[in-house]
Amino acid sequence: MTEASHVAGISRRGVLGAGAGLGVLAGSGWSGPALAAPGVLRAAITGYNVVNTLDPAAAALIPEFYVIWGLYNGLLKFDSQMQLVPELAESYRVTDDGALEFKLRSGVKFHDGSVLTADDVKFTLERLMDEATRSPNRSKVSALSAIEVPDPLTVRLRTAEPFAPLLTFLTNARTGTQILSRKAVQADPAGYGRKPIGTGAYRLRAWEPGQALKLSLFEDYFIPGRNRIPEIEIPLIAEESSGVTALMGKQIDLTSTAPFADIPTLERRPDIKVLKQPGLNTRFLQLNTRKPPFDDVHFRRAVSLAINRDVLVRIVLFGEGVATPALIPPSLTASYDATPKPLTTFNAERARAELAKSKYGAGTTGAILTWGSGWWKRFGEVVAAQVNQVLGTNLTVEVTEANTVFSRIRAGDYQAGTWGWLGMIDPDEYSYDLLHSSGWRNFAGYANPALDTLLIQARRELDPARRGALYKQSEHLWIEDMPVIPLFCSNVHNLLASNVTGFTQLPYSNFGDQFATMAIG
Amino acid sequence: MAASRRAAVLLLTVLAGAMVVFFAMKAAPGDPALSALGENARPELVAAFRRLHNLDLPVGEQFATWISGALRGDFGRSLTLAGGVPVGQLIAGRLPVTAFIGLYALILAGVISMIVGTVAALSRGTALDTLMTSFAVLGVSMPDFWLGYVLVFFLALNLPIFPSYGFVSPSDSLPGALLSGFLPALAIAAPMAAVFSRVLRAALLEVMHRPYVQVQRSLGLSSSFVFLHTIFRNALIPYVTIIGLQVRYLLGGVVVIERVFGIPGIGSLMVDGAFGRDYPVIQACALTFLVIVLGTNLLVDLLCARLDPKARGR
Repeated sequence: MTEASHVAGISRRGVLGAGAGLGVLAGSGWSGPALAAPGVLRAAITGYNVVNTLDPAAAALIPEFYVIWGLYNGLLKFDSQMQLVPELAESYRVTDDGALEFKLRSGVKFHDGSVLTADDVKFTLERLMDEATRSPNRSKVSALSAIEVPDPLTVRLRTAEPFAPLLTFLTNARTGTQILSRKAVQADPAGYGRKPIGTGAYRLRAWEPGQALKLSLFEDYFIPGRNRIPEIEIPLIAEESSGVTALMGKQIDLTSTAPFADIPTLERRPDIKVLKQPGLNTRFLQLNTRKPPFDDVHFRRAVSLAINRDVLVRIVLFGEGVATPALIPPSLTASYDATPKPLTTFNAERARAELAKSKYGAGTTGAILTWGSGWWKRFGEVVAAQVNQVLGTNLTVEVTEANTVFSRIRAGDYQAGTWGWLGMIDPDEYSYDLLHSSGWRNFAGYANPALDTLLIQARRELDPARRGALYKQSEHLWIEDMPVIPLFCSNVHNLLASNVTGFTQLPYSNFGDQFATMAIG
Repeated sequence: MAASRRAAVLLLTVLAGAMVVFFAMKAAPGDPALSALGENARPELVAAFRRLHNLDLPVGEQFATWISGALRGDFGRSLTLAGGVPVGQLIAGRLPVTAFIGLYALILAGVISMIVGTVAALSRGTALDTLMTSFAVLGVSMPDFWLGYVLVFFLALNLPIFPSYGFVSPSDSLPGALLSGFLPALAIAAPMAAVFSRVLRAALLEVMHRPYVQVQRSLGLSSSFVFLHTIFRNALIPYVTIIGLQVRYLLGGVVVIERVFGIPGIGSLMVDGAFGRDYPVIQACALTFLVIVLGTNLLVDLLCARLDPKARGR
């Protein structure tokens, strides 16, 4: 969900970078097979080796979701164009009295043979809302005020206020709203995370913590299909670079990520397919607007104007990303405002002119907080170097550890920090959460009444096109104040063996949801 | 008397080491609760986590709790694994894997260095000696992780002899373990083999010129008899000693190489623990390594005493 949880994957690119990976358990170890057994897809999760739970309500880490997406379904899902389409729901509509009504498909079976009903949906969402569940994904359903089940295949969701992001939050993405079987959860509430029962195309067969998971095809999957791959083996490979060598050595067929620096070389290999696109993430310079020197709007603007974002992308991400003029990333196509904005476009002359208007001049000191040994550290260093060169300031970089950076940003104990978010799938999370005066990620305490009004309006707009237009408009409202300095968005990658087909990559870095359509040639 | 003193020193060393490990971990930045729960975790969850793992106690008390548990074989529970798996169980499951790779590397290093060191000593000053010595210098100067990737490049990708990733447990298949463990073991062994062969070469040369060797030769004993029974045996003492000293490098190599090849041993457990700020896991791994190093050194001392009658009396 947060940048810090992804740090591990990125900075482990070195042999021993920094990060936040974790546990492992005794075991015989994943026996990297030299030869693929027929009918087995070896889909490696790379850059991580931690899967703590397969209960969507408890899941917090991206590798957990990679697997969950193959085991479960949501009421809705994203299609290949990132449009919302029904999945377990057959259709949905807004009722006259403002409720969201879902008609469920009939005859959908769970892995334990029981049949999906509206009661399972009600149970799933209520469990997620329940404080006692302590779900890290509770915010996805916190807008719900009531769940009604008028008949076994209909469920109605009510919210106190119209809340458009709810539809996004009911997809089989990084949401935690994947539908569970009431029977299976209640049979063993404490152990459920290790014995997941979903409706997905694959079910869990074996799990060696820290090493690998094994899934087998669920024959009663509700979407008919032929020649699905019978077995999926998911090795957990902590080192991204080891994932690359495993793929080159034909020991795996698919990876969930790839090291940025290796992409150009890998793209030239005939035996490997590289899939990439700008991901759902946003990276920026978080500023403490309550402390010098970033308490001065002219200084903030000067810093933004002094950063050449294209150079940043080339140096920090080896070109594997795009410079962004604002906070909502390009892959949220309906809401992304591509208009270049003068204040987030490199212009040395204008930067110095803004500095002249500021109460701080050349020689101003300040520290940019960053972490790790990989690209986050480089990110901070390049930003400081660019700004110092253009403005003659003395910004320095303070390198620590990701969680420390986050705690200090939240506590206001910093001047500036490299930061970002990923895994967020709705524009509301990039705008309301970050910039609305009551947004929970608005650590700088930014308040702009006009922006607040617009973001509330966007939350109430259920029409995708009209809603997107509101978000585009919102990006223009705060940019003059520059409470954060938007910088870039990085690509997501998957590597595939050349004989593997049927994987459609989505910008939120999807994975297990594609197993059902994949084939080994 | 000597034995009990020795045991006391060993125990004190372990205790001192444990203390260093514990307080070094406490001084490291980052909150384990936030690492485990994610930084969005609600404060009451964080507080409950800290209580559960004794993180809310004063540091001294935490140390006392941990060390008294460790002495009884209870290393606490992992902070980052769902359900908090007992760390002792983690270590027990992974130790055999690391022991296998470590021994494999040690045997490879031993065999390589015996050949290289002996050949170099016997052909001293010739081109062969220069070649062998250069090999040793090269071996010492190559980082093991880099060598690991180079070996994978040549022996797994270009010539697909060995798997490029993954490890078959010896309990599943010994031939599989020997095959999949070869590249990682060789990557760890190469720098050690280089050091060992240099030591062996120097020791052999030194012993060769000792008066008692000259005496034996003058008595007409065959040169192969003298080499095997006198020169080699005496040269083994510094050789075995250096093997004992190199065990700590071996463990350092294991940490990196297990990670690169995805081998589920103590080394990769320790790295995972470090990434997750999983103090109990890191502490237990470090303590295990410490005990292995001290134990090996004890073994080496005993072995040297057997090889050298003069050392027995000490």
